Amino acid sequence: MAVYKRTYRGYSGPVTNPMWRFSVLQRYAFKAVFRSRFMLIGFVACFIAPLLCMCLLYLNQNATVLALVGQKAGFLKVDARWFLNLLTFQGVLAGLLTAFVGPTLVAPDLANGALPMYLSRPFSRAEYILGKGMVLGTLIASITLVPLLICFGIQSSLLGFNWFDKNLYLATGIVLSCAVLMAVFILLGLAMSAFVRWRLVAGALILAVFAAGKGFGAVINNVMRSDSGYYLDLQYLLSTIAANLFQHPVEDDPITPVKAWIAVLVFCGLLLLLINRKLRVCEVAG
Amino acid sequence: MTQPVIELADLHVKIGKREILRGLNLELRGLTVGLLGPNGAGKSTLINTLLGFWKPTSGTARVLGYDVRTDARQIRAQIGYMPENDSFISDMSAISYVRMAAELSGLPPDAALERAHESLFYVGLGEARYRKLGAYSLGMKQMAKLAQAIVHGPKLVILDEPTNGLDPQARIRMIKLIQEMRALGTMNLVICSHLLRDIEETCEEAVILKGGQIVHYSNLEAERASNRRFIEIETEGDDGTFADAIEHLGCACAVTAPGRIKTVLPEGIEVRDIYRLAADRDVQLRRLNFRRDSLEDIFLKAMEK
Repeated sequence: MAVYKRTYRGYSGPVTNPMWRFSVLQRYAFKAVFRSRFMLIGFVACFIAPLLCMCLLYLNQNATVLALVGQKAGFLKVDARWFLNLLTFQGVLAGLLTAFVGPTLVAPDLANGALPMYLSRPFSRAEYILGKGMVLGTLIASITLVPLLICFGIQSSLLGFNWFDKNLYLATGIVLSCAVLMAVFILLGLAMSAFVRWRLVAGALILAVFAAGKGFGAVINNVMRSDSGYYLDLQYLLSTIAANLFQHPVEDDPITPVKAWIAVLVFCGLLLLLINRKLRVCEVAG
Repeated sequence: MTQPVIELADLHVKIGKREILRGLNLELRGLTVGLLGPNGAGKSTLINTLLGFWKPTSGTARVLGYDVRTDARQIRAQIGYMPENDSFISDMSAISYVRMAAELSGLPPDAALERAHESLFYVGLGEARYRKLGAYSLGMKQMAKLAQAIVHGPKLVILDEPTNGLDPQARIRMIKLIQEMRALGTMNLVICSHLLRDIEETCEEAVILKGGQIVHYSNLEAERASNRRFIEIETEGDDGTFADAIEHLGCACAVTAPGRIKTVLPEGIEVRDIYRLAADRDVQLRRLNFRRDSLEDIFLKAMEK
C-alpha cells in the first residue's frame, strides 16, 4: 500500500520471538552510540593495544625477526602477569567507554518519560535493563574479553597443545575476570545514567566512583590506620579478584579475594537497588 | 453477547498504605469508553492497573478476557497506550521512534517500518516523520504518541488526556481522529480526560470516578437517544389550552410556568405534530428545545453524590 494514502488497518502478520525482543533496544542504542564520530574513533583506538600485543606475541616466536633484532625466542614472558597487565589496561579503557556510553543509555528515556512507551508493550523492566545493559556489555566484551582470548589463542597456536593445556586456567581467568568487569561496569553505567539525567554529570559520576572511592579509601586507611578503606576502592577490589582468578595473588594483600568478592557483590547489589528504584513507570505522590 | 473489553470485579488497589481504588465493579462493552473524574479520583491508577503496572490488592480486573494479575504480557500485546505526559526520545526521529515501538510490540523490522510510515501518515505527521521528536510542537508530540500507540494494530487503545495542552485547532484534529478511529470499528478506545466535551464528542459510555469508586456509569448513546424525546417548549399567545392539546396527542405534559411546557414525545409522535398543533391553534412557538442533559450535568450530579 502506498504510504501517502491516509488510512489505518489492523495488523495480523507474524510476530518476533519474545525471548530476543530485548535485542531491539540494543540495535537502536548501537545506532545512537555510533552516530558520534568521536565515539567511533575512541572505540577503534581501544583495539590498538591488543593489536600491538598480538603482533608482539607473534614476533616473540618468529625466529627470523628475532634474529634480525638480536633477541632469543620467548624474550617476552607471556604468563598470568602479562595477561593481567593487558586486562588492567583494557579495563581502564572499558571504564572510560562506560563513562562515555553509559549516560546515553537510560538518561534520554527518563528525560522525556519514555519508559511508559517501552513498558506498556509486551516488554518487561528486566528486558529493558537487559537490552540496555547488553549495549555496554557488547562494547566492553569486544575490547576486553575478545582481544584477550585471541591473544591466548595466538599464544596457544604458536606454542602448541602443551602450553594451552598448562595455561588453560588463564583462559578461565580471562573469561571470569571480564565477566566481573562487565557486570560492574554495566550496572554502574545504567545506575548512574538512571540517577543523573545530564549526560556529562552522569559520565563524570561514573569516573568519580573510581577516583573518589580510591581517594576516600586512602583517607580512611590513613586516618583510621586500618585497611577498611580498601573496601571503597573499586579498582583495587576488581584487581584483587582478577589477580585471584589468574592465580596470581599479590603478597601481603590487605584484603583477601573472598572479602573483595563480597564487597563487589554488595556494591553491585546497591547499584541494582538504585536501578530498580529509578526505572519505574508509575510515580505516586503521597 | 460480545466479550466485555474491561471487566472489574470488586477491584481494590493499594499503593503503599493508601487504598486508591475501592471495590470497583464494572463491565464495559462499548467501542469508546470515557473515564472521568477529578484529580486523585483514581483514573491513572485504574489505567496503570489495566496495563499491569500495579497489581490489584484484591478482586479481579480483566482486559479483553485476560486477567491483569497473570496475563499482563498478553494484555500489553493487544493494547496501545498513549500516556498523558511526554513520552518520547528527543534525539530520535518520529519514524525511528514509532518503528522501534512497533518492533517492541513484536513486529518484524520490515513490517514495523512500513506500519510506522502508515501510522505517521494516518495521524497527519507524514511530512514531518523524519524530523527529530525534540523539535516537534506539543500538538505534533501528541500525534506522535498516538502513532506509537496504534502502530502495532492493537485491539484496545488507551488514551490518557489526548487533548492535553492542545490549541483549539489541534484539539479538533485530535477529536476528529479519535472519531475516525471509532468509526473504523476495529479497535476499542478508552479515553481518560478532564475535558467533558472531549468525552461527550467521542465516547459511547462514560464512567465517573470519585475517591477511588465508581459514582456514575452513563451510556451516553442511550442518554442521547432518550434526550431526543424530551422537549421544552416556550409559547406566546397560548390561552392555557395548548398543554391540554398536546396531552390529547398522547404526550405526557407539564406546565412549569405560564407559556412554558415540558413534554415527552411517545413513539409515533414527532416534533412536526407539535408544530402543526401550534399552527392550528395560532400559538407561536418561541422556543422548542430537546432537553440536553449534558455530560457536565451528569458529572456535576455525580460529584454531589
